[in-house]
Amino acid sequence: MMAGKKRLNPEEIVKSFKDEFKAKIKNTRIERRTKGPSKHEFVHIWMKVDKSIFKDSVKHLATLQKYPHLAVASGNDLGKTIELIYHFSIYYGVPLGEISINISVEIPKAKPEIETICDIIPGALITEREKQEMLGVKIKGIPDSRRVFLTDDFPEGVYPWRKDETGPQKMIRNLHEVKK
Amino acid sequence: MKFSMLPQVFAQMFKKPFTNKFPAKYIPSSTTKFLGDVGSGKAEIIPPIETPEGFRGKIVYDKDRCIGCKLCIKVCPSDAIEFKPDEKKVKFYLARCVFCAQCNDICPVNCLSMSNEFLLADSDKYSKDLIVE
Amino acid sequence: MKTKQTTKTTYHIPIGPIHPALKEPVAFEFEIDGERIVDVDVSLGHVHRTVEWSATKRNPIQILYLAERICGICAYCHPATFALAVENITNIEVPERAEYLRVIQAELERICSHVLWAGVAAHEIGFDSVLFLTWQIREKVLDLTEYLTGNRITKGIVTIGGVRRDITKEHHPKIFETLNYLKDNFEKLRKVYLDDKTFRMRAQECGILTEKDALKLCAVGPTARGSGVKKDVRVDQAYFSYADLDIECVTPDMLTGEVNGDVYDRIIVRLLEVKQSIDLIEQCIDKMPAGDIVSEPKVAKVLATLKKAGGESIGLMEAPRGEVIHYVKLVEGEEHPFTWKVRAPTYNNIMPWIPMLKGEQIADIPIVAASTDPCMSCTNRVAIVDSSKKYELNKEELHRLSVEKTRRLMA
Repeated sequence: MMAGKKRLNPEEIVKSFKDEFKAKIKNTRIERRTKGPSKHEFVHIWMKVDKSIFKDSVKHLATLQKYPHLAVASGNDLGKTIELIYHFSIYYGVPLGEISINISVEIPKAKPEIETICDIIPGALITEREKQEMLGVKIKGIPDSRRVFLTDDFPEGVYPWRKDETGPQKMIRNLHEVKK
Repeated sequence: MKFSMLPQVFAQMFKKPFTNKFPAKYIPSSTTKFLGDVGSGKAEIIPPIETPEGFRGKIVYDKDRCIGCKLCIKVCPSDAIEFKPDEKKVKFYLARCVFCAQCNDICPVNCLSMSNEFLLADSDKYSKDLIVE
Repeated sequence: MKTKQTTKTTYHIPIGPIHPALKEPVAFEFEIDGERIVDVDVSLGHVHRTVEWSATKRNPIQILYLAERICGICAYCHPATFALAVENITNIEVPERAEYLRVIQAELERICSHVLWAGVAAHEIGFDSVLFLTWQIREKVLDLTEYLTGNRITKGIVTIGGVRRDITKEHHPKIFETLNYLKDNFEKLRKVYLDDKTFRMRAQECGILTEKDALKLCAVGPTARGSGVKKDVRVDQAYFSYADLDIECVTPDMLTGEVNGDVYDRIIVRLLEVKQSIDLIEQCIDKMPAGDIVSEPKVAKVLATLKKAGGESIGLMEAPRGEVIHYVKLVEGEEHPFTWKVRAPTYNNIMPWIPMLKGEQIADIPIVAASTDPCMSCTNRVAIVDSSKKYELNKEELHRLSVEKTRRLMA
């Protein structure tokens, strides 16, 4: 699988991304923490990429490790934009050698569209379907765009994770506020 | 080997069953009659297994030591504690309690502890047994 | 006389959501040609309880108990991962003794979960006496958990900065008694699962997941390790105190020397992990240093620190079913978190069902689906969908088919 490839250390990984994409990578930070009695180190890398090069950055990640492991994609509603964060991890299988890479992308609420990565990583299907129904993001090229967790009769246009007027405020019922 | 479970099953025929038969060996045909018999001494309830020390059962509230600081209300995950402003004491609704004992940990005067009572089933949420104050 | 032309089509059979082979609701739709499965479609969402939204109305100490109730079998890993994520944001330093105590509780939960799964797998084949034997063994481990933490399932032992209860020398006799009981009975289980003909003929060459598929579909846990992929968060990115313990990634070639990726390999992985857990608990009790069990005993101070903290981070952990990841974002000055995302391991193990089930017979559906050890309560976050279909296989029917196949093969 990747027996012959050299493993890069975190600074080299960030440098390879910056060399490839120049100014479209912003806000990189490398977090190193020590854990446990023997104080071994683990590394998390956080990066913010521009929407236009998102798919190319995932392809670049796939050159560092043949099948990067996508854990999940989480989302934040930041007012005028929606931020999607994809949590990858590479170099698994090597004891104490795994590095977590978190790539975040901001898309405007007026036109919430992003491309799919299901052709590079087929296991990303369920998490992409979840973002479509929970945040109202439209994912272009997704092979299957049905709802995954919400029911089919859930009203259209209501997105549970959003904090603005399209959130689920009207659907809340406080069942425990009875006579005490 | 063909019948690997057979020695195990055979040995079990001569041993006591693993289940503790609480409250009675066989289901009584009428529960109210059974409870009446227990009350008058004709039948006996087989007791449940002993709970270990540190078991989190029904809450025990020492009312005199409570100072009304409301820290337990802040930390209760299921909103089961109510503050009584006139007396500056609290009231616990066991129908909503999840027995996590977080209120015990945060109380500054240690007026709360957990007993080992767990047979608390009732049909009325606000009955006397399920409110501690 | 004209002969009528007929075309041969496949049947569509829906199974679920009130489920035949699992203990949790999931809806399948199978396309069947005779007895062989041609295609599979999975639909989720039957146990959604809006957990992530409820967290935006609670402070972090209350969220620990909300996280515990996401699932009954993985009731330790969700609060522990949440505590890891929050400790990463605020740079709270956890004392060494607490790290070892957390490992002991995690391994106890892993033993309980794998032994429960072994019983469920035996039940799906029709081997009910093994179900009762394994659940009897599990009762002893649950008694030990009750003695150490106060309750059998909802342990409530993790807090932000450490653990809530200590393990003292008085607890040691009962721990060693339970571990010895487990070691004696492990040999019985090993003989039944690995030497007996029954399991071998039902589980070998059945439900195969190739290594390439496991990598592409991001499978986690024993499902991936049974196919030869070495993914284990305890070894790769050690959390708690796993870096100081003697641990290695368990794959089937440790016992048999080859990797097939079928149901039998997954049984081997889980049984070897039980043995590894017993060994890890003994190592921990040996190496545990003296000291504090929590970094800040006054909970009110912890809440004040968390209110002032801001930032985002992730927490990773290896639950009995695979990798759990939580993402938390805190805002300065506010007690409630801005976002909390939970991803349970079964979420990633749903896609591998499709290549595993294609080409199998209907009677194999229970054992193949159960071999990934799905936990739907962890995966879902809503409600029940009604589907009006004409042809339905219900729970008893599918179980009966599975048991009949075993009898047929034994004759």
